[in-house]
Amino acid sequence: MTTIATDTPRTHGMDINSLQRDFGATRLEQEKIALQVENLNLFYAKTQALYNVNMVIPRHRVTAFIGPSGCGKSTLLRCFNRMNDLVDGCRIDGMIKLGGEDIYHKRVNVAALRSRVGMVFQKPNPFPKSIYENVAYGLRTQGVNDRRRLDEAVEKALRSAALWDEAKDRLHENALGLSGGQQQRLVIARAVAIEPEVLLLDEPASALDPISTLKIEELIYELKENYTLIIVTHNMQQAARVSDYTAFMYLGKLIEFADTNTLFTNPAMKQTEDYITGRYG
Amino acid sequence: MTTVPADTSTPTSRRRASMLIDNVTWYFRFRMALDRLIRYAVAVGGVSIIIAITGIFLFLLIEVLPIFTPASIEVRGHYRVPGAEQAHTLHLAVEEQNEVALRVSDNGELTFFNTRSGQVIQQVWLKLPNHAHIVSFANANAKQATFALGLDSGEVLLVRHEYESTYVDNTRTITPRVEYPYGAKPIVIDPQGETLRRLAMQEGDDGITVVAATEDERLLLVSITKQKSFLSEDVSYERNTVTLPYPSAEVTHLLINKDQQQLYIASRGGNLSFYDIRNKAQPKLLQHLAVTRAGANLTALASLTGGISILVGASDGNLSQWSILRDENNNEQWVKFRDFEPLHKAIVQIVPELNRKGFVAIDEGGGLGIYHTTAQRTLLQRNVSALPLRRIGLSPRANALAVLDDRGTLDFWLIHNPHPEISWSALWNKVWYESYPEPKYQWQSSSASDDFEPKFSLTPLSFGTLKAAFYAILIAVPLSIMAAIFTAQFMSPRMRRSVKPSIEIMAALPTVILGFLAGLWLAPMMEKNLLAILLLFIALPIGIVMTSYLWHRLPAGLRFRVPEGWEAAILIPTVVMIGWAVFMLGPYLEQGLFHGNLVEWLGNPNKGGWLQGWTIDYDQRNALVVGIAMGVAVVPIIFSIAEDALFAVPKHLIHGSLALGATPWQTLVRVVLLTASPGIFSAVMIGLGRAVGETMIVLMATGNTPVMDLSAFHGMRTLSANIAVEMPEAEVASSHYRVLFLAAMVLFMFTFIVNTLAEIIRQHLRKKYSSL
Repeated sequence: MTTIATDTPRTHGMDINSLQRDFGATRLEQEKIALQVENLNLFYAKTQALYNVNMVIPRHRVTAFIGPSGCGKSTLLRCFNRMNDLVDGCRIDGMIKLGGEDIYHKRVNVAALRSRVGMVFQKPNPFPKSIYENVAYGLRTQGVNDRRRLDEAVEKALRSAALWDEAKDRLHENALGLSGGQQQRLVIARAVAIEPEVLLLDEPASALDPISTLKIEELIYELKENYTLIIVTHNMQQAARVSDYTAFMYLGKLIEFADTNTLFTNPAMKQTEDYITGRYG
Repeated sequence: MTTVPADTSTPTSRRRASMLIDNVTWYFRFRMALDRLIRYAVAVGGVSIIIAITGIFLFLLIEVLPIFTPASIEVRGHYRVPGAEQAHTLHLAVEEQNEVALRVSDNGELTFFNTRSGQVIQQVWLKLPNHAHIVSFANANAKQATFALGLDSGEVLLVRHEYESTYVDNTRTITPRVEYPYGAKPIVIDPQGETLRRLAMQEGDDGITVVAATEDERLLLVSITKQKSFLSEDVSYERNTVTLPYPSAEVTHLLINKDQQQLYIASRGGNLSFYDIRNKAQPKLLQHLAVTRAGANLTALASLTGGISILVGASDGNLSQWSILRDENNNEQWVKFRDFEPLHKAIVQIVPELNRKGFVAIDEGGGLGIYHTTAQRTLLQRNVSALPLRRIGLSPRANALAVLDDRGTLDFWLIHNPHPEISWSALWNKVWYESYPEPKYQWQSSSASDDFEPKFSLTPLSFGTLKAAFYAILIAVPLSIMAAIFTAQFMSPRMRRSVKPSIEIMAALPTVILGFLAGLWLAPMMEKNLLAILLLFIALPIGIVMTSYLWHRLPAGLRFRVPEGWEAAILIPTVVMIGWAVFMLGPYLEQGLFHGNLVEWLGNPNKGGWLQGWTIDYDQRNALVVGIAMGVAVVPIIFSIAEDALFAVPKHLIHGSLALGATPWQTLVRVVLLTASPGIFSAVMIGLGRAVGETMIVLMATGNTPVMDLSAFHGMRTLSANIAVEMPEAEVASSHYRVLFLAAMVLFMFTFIVNTLAEIIRQHLRKKYSSL
């Protein structure tokens, strides 16, 4: 079987080569580190969901988590902003460091952490408010109520989520009137508006049509300049298209983590190769 | 051939159709039939609910509508009144069965005749002294059908007409009889023997009072009091005569009220002198007033039943009611209570109804008006003749009327006027009731006295309903919404599984038990421990917040022993302890701060401090008791619906908010409550609807006093409790009965409006905030 990189993936009219970056220059060892995971074990009540995960997330890069359903990639993603705290009976040991600080230290303010590590979910989840209020939500919770600052932040966020042109004339209409793809970009704008350092994307395009998926992928590429992105995806082509680094997980373990080109063209582990060539998954 | 394709296609299409139509299994048909059956069953259920509701509404409407219909009259006899050619008619009367009428003419003849045909039944000639003539007439006792005739010899003859019903061959025969209560010999009023031009008289159990204006302009007040000897049972009479000053103008009308305490003297020019004649030896002039408009004369004067008000008819057709007011110093003053819709010509006669506060008036132009004073209602106004009317006689039940015109023609009318006392203004506006110092909203539907003026204002009842609901909602909404928020958003699922059904099962608690507890346990307990109860409203929230704060300051090791979501359990001992502490402290605080008793302290205006000069009355059964009891009844409903709404807020919205760095509290306020707002709103509205319609608790714990104020320490009477209390004793189809149905309809409308508004707002909110 040939590997993905030699195949031309389905591109939906996009030039795949334009998305391929110069990987030769970027080696994991040379990257600045945004997040560091050390010996992470996670338990849901009695079952263990993550086994001794160790990895680094490079700064201002796109890192993709791939793996079959139930492999723990979403669980790992949710560890980065402690969304797992909301799950009853979830227990963690090990350490995740954001800028050198342990985010699981007991004095950490979870709200402050989450404003530094934003998240976009699989299903678009705009609040039943206007487009404007959706984007301004994060800032308002931080106590920003100055109209001009909010206006600027909303415009900037919508522009960076490539939604400004479509939404600028209906800022005060209910966000639920937007299409699914627009809603997902709105949710990204909402996350971007509070200028987090890391943006977690949990299968952000899986509920969308191909055109919207394309737009989201283009957006991810643009956001990389200012944000560290981590994306969980089922779609290997998508991982190959948008990410700089890819982690393959299987049964709660991190099997392989490498730059995307390497992982897809020359995986070090047999399990990785089996998965990307479609033996299971 | 053109037929060939048709021939071939027909069997094919038939075969194809049969695949779908005929060739189906019995099970398929059974399924379809079942489906149809269920659809019809559901439709029948839905439609019958609508029919039932409409039916209830229509039933109420049918019961209520008669009170708003005007009076109607229909003619039953039209004939020349017997003896019209010989003499003038002084008086007309109809007996209770409306079969026999009486005409009194000024030649001393009393003619009883059939009301339908005019056929004479009996004629009686009064025994008048030689050469004496009848010159004046006065009603002496309306209930006893007694009248007085003034003679030109200065004497008065008192006559009573009575009727006896006998049944021969199952047909009723009514035999009239004439009696002379003070003897057939006239009573001498003016010893000088002058003509008694004008006359007023009242006869009662203790004697008679007569006032007469003589031809030579003297006003004589004569009272004859019966004195019964205790030993011999002999009756002796004591006579008292006073001469009153004659007014500057000619006396046109004289009137004495029923209990012989008030005397009214009308003189030409529309002036009326009001005398207090409680002391017959010393009549006291109270007032002298112009009771008609300038230029108009007083042309008719009558006493409204009950004897507290008089009715004045004027030459310009105006009709007014005057009554007496007493101020704090017991000074009496006559004032005009209200005007009625005028007739077109000069009023000829006003006849009050015997048992209700209504009256009938006629004018010179043939106009007839039927009115009610309390309701200020014109029930009928109609021209019954082209000629001026002379006299009317109203039957004791006010359901028949004999009308005599200028040419001696009598029309006998039946009156259908069952509910004159109800009008929009009597139900909803302030009404000036007799002997009230000012117009008021008042509900007082019955009393022991016949002369009672029923007070049917629904305003205090509607107000009471809303007040009770307001206090209940005030207590129930914060409790139940907070509880719902905690249960839905913070409580551990296991705890929620037991807490939610336990609160919901409280909805099944019979309200009669809650009412019983509220009325017989809570109300007296609260009166004794008012300060403690009031403190509880402050101490509990503060205590709970303080406990939560202290809990957070506890060492983590201790805190983590309590599983997450079970923190609320530690509030149970807190609440119990605060309650205990407050009830222990209460009496000491009352001792120290309020001279031992807060209730008494509030009621005392000289208590000192910042409430100096204020008295706050405390009823044992008050709005606070009802608020707590009905709050308890309403909490489960509001809690259950609000909790469902809050719990149904999609988790992905909550996670979205938390992932943006919002705190749980911010998430709750900005996302959860917003999204759940339609459900929370309908929870509150359904709770309100329940509180408005609630009967047993308000019946047992409000004291049922129809007062109108917002004080938490006063009781109220609600529409529902009022219906429950009074319906069993209301006479079927009476005005009272129908007003109670109207109260039911108002209640129905209340809940209908509340629910409709709730639904409209809920739909609006749902459109705005729904995320599903």
